[in-house]
Amino acid sequence: MAYPSQLGFQDASSPIMEELLYFHDHALMIVFLISSLVLYVILAMLSTKLMHTNTMDAQVIETIWTILPAVILVLIALPSLRILYMMDEINNPTITVKTLGHQWYWSYEYTDYEDLMFDSYMIPSEELKPGDLRLLEVDNRVVLPMELTIRMLISSEDVLHSWAMPSLGLKTDAIPGRLNQATLSSTRPGLFYGQCSEICGSNHSFMPIILEMVPLKIFESWSSSMV
Amino acid sequence: MSSGALAKPQMRGLLARRLRIHMVGAFILSIGAGAYYKFAVGDQRKKAYADFYRNYDSMKDFEEMRKAGIFQSAK
Repeated sequence: MAYPSQLGFQDASSPIMEELLYFHDHALMIVFLISSLVLYVILAMLSTKLMHTNTMDAQVIETIWTILPAVILVLIALPSLRILYMMDEINNPTITVKTLGHQWYWSYEYTDYEDLMFDSYMIPSEELKPGDLRLLEVDNRVVLPMELTIRMLISSEDVLHSWAMPSLGLKTDAIPGRLNQATLSSTRPGLFYGQCSEICGSNHSFMPIILEMVPLKIFESWSSSMV
Repeated sequence: MSSGALAKPQMRGLLARRLRIHMVGAFILSIGAGAYYKFAVGDQRKKAYADFYRNYDSMKDFEEMRKAGIFQSAK
């Protein structure tokens, strides 16, 4: 989850998010490369009185600074497309969970075997217990089995929302009248926090998401107890 | 009056010389910055994740979390 003074991404808890972290490192390395070059050149140009007053053309450098950025862009695009296609690989999910955005809560439906449906409201700040996280706790968490592939079908009952889970690398818009699919898998047990990521009204900031990833047996006994 | 003539100072190609030196310097700096970030941050991150998952026991992790009382579904 997020922590104070955080600068980078949250720690990855899914293979796709790990790949995204490495890709971000790669892209940021290129950004630092270019920015340090430009900064150095600006400082070098500003710190001399020498000038070239009869430049007519500059064929060599124009060629270099056309070809080199094109090469850099290809070096960024190739890993990017690799991850993009990796996200869409066929992965045979074990279960399907539906989530619907409402103003201003999420509802979840586990209908593969029994009909399990519940709403998930944020716990107001006045009702938090010691140790609870302000604006992030919910009454009913989304309990899911860890280390398994899960299909999330995301939609909305009213306005646009977005179901986001940063540590799993997920953010999928909840659009009324449309079913969006996301593939979820966590390498670790634990609690994973997310928040609605599309402006949806006055309480947009107050409809968080908590994923509780547990072993399959615990998930099975939880879902039997909830039906 | 001074007895010997001074050597003729360099009067041409000053900017070109400066550009040559600083072009090399700029590329060394930028490639160095990129390499530093790649090795100190990027490769370190990959190593940290590899080390974490090498001997990771998810059930043991789960039991520790369960004992800490954080789960709703497992007390």
